[in-house]
Amino acid sequence: MRRLTGILLCLLLTCGALSGCQDRREDNASSLSQAAKDTVVIAMGPTSEPESGFDPSFGWGAGEHVHEPLIQSTLTVTNPDLTIGYDLATSCISSEDGLTWTVTIREDVRFSDGQPLTAQDVAFTYNTVKASSSVNDFTMLDYAEAKDGATVLFHMKTPFSIWPYTMAIVGILPEHAYDSATYGQNPIGSGRYLLKQWDRGQQVILEANPDYYGDAPKIKQVTILFMEEDAAFLAVKAGQVDLAYTSATYSDQAPQGYNLLAFESVDNRGINLPVTGNPVTSDLAVRRAINIGVDRQEMIDHVLNGYGTPAYSVCDKMPWYNAASQVEYDPQGAASLLEEAGWIMGDDGVRVKDGVRAELTLLYSSEDSVRQALAADLASQLKKLGIACQIEGVGWDTAYDRALSDPLIWGWGAHTPMELYNIYHTMEDTGSAQYSPYANPTVDGYMDAALACADLEQAYQLWQKAQWDGSTGVTQEGDVPWVWLVNVSHLYWAREGLAVAEQKIHPHGHGWSIVNNVDQWSWS
Amino acid sequence: MKKDWNRRKSAAVLFSACAFVLCAVTAAGLLLSDYAMETDFTQKNLSPSLSHLFGTDWMGRDMLARTLTGLSLSIRIGLLTALVSCVLALLLGTAAATLGRRVDACISWCVDLFLGIPHILLVMLLSLAFGKGLAGVVAGVSLSHWPALARVVRAEVFQLRQAPYLLAAEKLGVSRFAVARRHLLPHLLAQFLTGLILQFPHAILHEASITFLGFGLSPEQPAVGIILSESMRYLTTGKWWLALFPGLSLVLVVLLFARMGERLRQMGNPASVHQ
Repeated sequence: MRRLTGILLCLLLTCGALSGCQDRREDNASSLSQAAKDTVVIAMGPTSEPESGFDPSFGWGAGEHVHEPLIQSTLTVTNPDLTIGYDLATSCISSEDGLTWTVTIREDVRFSDGQPLTAQDVAFTYNTVKASSSVNDFTMLDYAEAKDGATVLFHMKTPFSIWPYTMAIVGILPEHAYDSATYGQNPIGSGRYLLKQWDRGQQVILEANPDYYGDAPKIKQVTILFMEEDAAFLAVKAGQVDLAYTSATYSDQAPQGYNLLAFESVDNRGINLPVTGNPVTSDLAVRRAINIGVDRQEMIDHVLNGYGTPAYSVCDKMPWYNAASQVEYDPQGAASLLEEAGWIMGDDGVRVKDGVRAELTLLYSSEDSVRQALAADLASQLKKLGIACQIEGVGWDTAYDRALSDPLIWGWGAHTPMELYNIYHTMEDTGSAQYSPYANPTVDGYMDAALACADLEQAYQLWQKAQWDGSTGVTQEGDVPWVWLVNVSHLYWAREGLAVAEQKIHPHGHGWSIVNNVDQWSWS
Repeated sequence: MKKDWNRRKSAAVLFSACAFVLCAVTAAGLLLSDYAMETDFTQKNLSPSLSHLFGTDWMGRDMLARTLTGLSLSIRIGLLTALVSCVLALLLGTAAATLGRRVDACISWCVDLFLGIPHILLVMLLSLAFGKGLAGVVAGVSLSHWPALARVVRAEVFQLRQAPYLLAAEKLGVSRFAVARRHLLPHLLAQFLTGLILQFPHAILHEASITFLGFGLSPEQPAVGIILSESMRYLTTGKWWLALFPGLSLVLVVLLFARMGERLRQMGNPASVHQ
């Protein structure tokens, strides 16, 4: 009897608690929808919260995952087609030798504390980020100098033609109000939004800057909540957010009142194939066979539920992308490449050449289920080619070292051609590329020339030649030191009626990129 | 008929039945270990059906095979752990009670130290120290379960030493080693066996928790903890079978072991011989 009473009490309590939740949710939802004319609530992943605050010199906007800093202005911006446009800058000229950049800025800009933004502040910003930034490479910059109130000179150590791409991610700091210890929590900038409130680990509230020099933001208040993917999905189901990030796992769901938005990205996944140090991938024929023997569309359908695009390079659809990177899926061609190179199919379905079995260990980051699924799918596809793969999850503490001899599933994709350099250019001390053994002096030469080039248009062509110049490069006919698999489309749940402005191709990192142009969103 | 069937016999039958089921699970898991890793994306996210009794996960892997393989791994780790920790406990407990005060103080201090650290934290630390992976999990779990039993053994031996026949043996000049072998060990055997079996559920649950937390094996390996932590991500999308069946199976295995220990204790207990 006593037990029965206990159970009944428990049930009652549970019902009470549940109905309590229900009521509160409805209240929240209705209060949001009433106010939802010029505000927006967005759910992002917990890793999107900037650890060191909103300070560009500690990676805000300019870190691993680049985006527009919103609170600060930048000198340049990247256009929707990833060419360069101007924000603060009015002109931007490189000297003939590429060692001096002269940038003039507009003079009507004020920081949110009322002080004018001058060339002095710009120079201060760049000298500060160079000195303190641990997340971005500023070694090419010698120092910045304000020539007069509206002209800044950047003195470079080495020519760096893609400097405008770096200028597009560095938010300008106020020299008079900068203290590196407190600025991250209380940023003063000249951007479209002001930081109104930041509850660490929970939310950030941005408010439109009334003194903004450009078009006034249509969305007056942006609230960003940091939550895990499943929590974000539940928030969508409960109607608590207007936009929430999500992934292919949830894409077959249909929460009421929301649409699924899919944005193309250059957030690619690919594998490195060590050119030396691995008996299988050091054979060019194997690398070429893998590149054409992988059905990228099948991977997209299997792993990403169709939300992705095939990747053929680290920079698909960018102005510096060389279309020669694209290959057709050709399993027969791949098999005959392997046959010709002497990889003969054994009785157990694994090819053998000179006693070496075609066996690979495919590594992936153990925290990332998408990469795990990609690795599993790749392994089963390569098995059909006669290459046996074992997959293994690794932590980033050991992944970099192990990738020097085994293929690893990587994710890249940035709005700067520098990524090509980081992946394919050799390092001075080792004579080999940084992440996977590879060296090609011709490829190096083109990239060096591209950086030294005074004209950005011309530089794009040199970056393209670094990929394939008609006789050598990193594409199928070249050395294929990396095989690119898919670009992961970035998925979001958006409340019906919210018009998200046209997006640039998203870079790596499923975070702040979406709000690059939140000021132009609207409700209907 | 009813006369022949006593509680000792039914305990023996139950014990064998449990042992058989657990052996079968272990063997099935070993046989299915390759199948458990196989992915088939055309069969992903299927709810339980006749062809996939436990359903499939987001890579189209058969959950029944994964669960059995995971449990098999757990049982084998549990077996090793139970053996290692019981032998350690027996040796250290006996040593503490027979080799004099200093040794006793030293071993007791170790026991207190190990018991003083929260258990799951200790397992994590040990497995990190042993380099994660399978070796880390095995070392972490098996090196952390001995102190409680060691303490019991020590107390038991202390008590025994006051027994008249042991005092007599000592006075007759029988060596310490011979006393331990001839008088102590046989007496401790019942304690030892029961402790061994009761250690299993502990070890299995700890193995599951540590792989759940991601300290152990690589995520493609089918360990029960990994299966459960993966399933968490899919619960919100309504894929209940990913967590329910593996979780239930784990509970079942643990319960079976607990029952086995109980029955063994019943059979080994001299006071219940006539029941």
